[in-house]
Amino acid sequence: MEITRRDFIKGGAGATGLILLTPTAMAMAKNSQTSAGKAMLIDVTKCVNCWWCYAACKEYNQLPETVKPDLEQPPELSPDVWTTLHPVMKDDRWVSRKKACNHCTDAACVEVCPTGALSYNEMGFVQYEKEKCSGCGYCAEFCPFDVPQMETNKVTGVAIMNKCTFCCDRVANGEQPACAAACTTGAIKYGERTELITEAEERIALLRQSNPGASVYGIDEMQGLHVMYILDDSPEVYGLPADPEVPPTTTLRSILKWLGSGLAIAAIAGFGLNYLVARMRMKRGEE
Amino acid sequence: MAEPRVVERFRKRTIWFHWIHTAAFLVLLVTGAILFLPGLGAPAAGGITRSLHRIAAVVFIAAPVLYTIINPKMSWRFVKETFTWGKDDIKWLQAAPDYYFGGGESRMIPQGHVNTGQKMWEFITLFTGILFVVTGLLMWFLKDTLSPGVFQWMVIVHDFAFILAFLMLLVHIYTGSLHPRMKESLRSMWDGKVSRGYARSHYSKWYDEISKGSG
Repeated sequence: MEITRRDFIKGGAGATGLILLTPTAMAMAKNSQTSAGKAMLIDVTKCVNCWWCYAACKEYNQLPETVKPDLEQPPELSPDVWTTLHPVMKDDRWVSRKKACNHCTDAACVEVCPTGALSYNEMGFVQYEKEKCSGCGYCAEFCPFDVPQMETNKVTGVAIMNKCTFCCDRVANGEQPACAAACTTGAIKYGERTELITEAEERIALLRQSNPGASVYGIDEMQGLHVMYILDDSPEVYGLPADPEVPPTTTLRSILKWLGSGLAIAAIAGFGLNYLVARMRMKRGEE
Repeated sequence: MAEPRVVERFRKRTIWFHWIHTAAFLVLLVTGAILFLPGLGAPAAGGITRSLHRIAAVVFIAAPVLYTIINPKMSWRFVKETFTWGKDDIKWLQAAPDYYFGGGESRMIPQGHVNTGQKMWEFITLFTGILFVVTGLLMWFLKDTLSPGVFQWMVIVHDFAFILAFLMLLVHIYTGSLHPRMKESLRSMWDGKVSRGYARSHYSKWYDEISKGSG
């Protein structure tokens, strides 16, 4: 009886330790995070609001059709809208920033995804495997750009996340993403991120000669976005947070995970020790 | 008339409640842990575990509500017992390390129906239960309404409650069923009874009360 008990405790401690240590192995295995790779450069000064990027995205990704959007009421990102425009009225005309996933180098969504559905592709973008998604929605709540979208069944909690995939299958075949291919004016440029940064810096230097308020966005934000922007104004005007970050709560969660796992292992080890000491002393007490 | 050799410690309905709540909590624990610990996320794919988590949550909330409606007096006694602390509880805490490491039984402070450690566990179940239910319901029903910042904190508080409840559950399981000194504790949550000797040595103040009561 006593041996069984002891075996039970030992076995339990071993199994729990193993379960609690799995995250380390996973965390070490997951990363092909890179600030290099492929990227897109969006230039608001070249956009003519034609919505072809929007239409091409819908067509290529087989998302349900909608009517041609109105700049006064642009569609929000949703499970069926992976890219849209963020229009701003300037001197009686609309200037639009294309809005979609920014494919961060340091992505909050990847950090918080519990199932590994979201991960880094070695070509630089943030990919996801639909079959692995649990629908928890952490990605949507922790993304500083409010990009991942989902519709959740209120009763069952079942939901599947959707967002821009960077047209990863096209990119893998050496093609451009559908939106970049469809762009009529060169407002969406696709290429090597390092080359696009050089181009962005040249372009912004030129723009600043006549417009000192012009800015470039995405070179350093989130350790480097894989969708960067040339803006004729400050980022906030175009709905981009000035100083985006992986929310500090993400780090706090990681600390809690390690703390919890460590304390659980310590507790189980403590019980084992307590059991042996208590039994020994109780026996001695009886004698 | 010969005294029965055992005394009743828990009533049937309390035992039922205990195990139904345990089952619900274990389902919540497993389906929650796989979302908390990244390496274990695979079974969550497709959202089945999230549905299970919700079903178990309904039981986890409904069971204590029903129990309270059916047994208002006993429920009130439970709450009162949890929050009634005296000098003996401090003494118990001081004596506990030696006692749990197999020191002499006689040096332990006399205890009522539950000992100080059990009171602390009762408090943890109430405290984390409220944290779980409040943050859980908010995340369930107000996901679209809450700002991301508030939602993130709901997740953190839920995580915190999980760690606290899980650790204390380990302590509860260990002291309640495996510790060499607590031989009859698990049984008492099964058939509701403990031997007179066990009652006298573990809960002497309570034993004196019930012995007096039965004449």
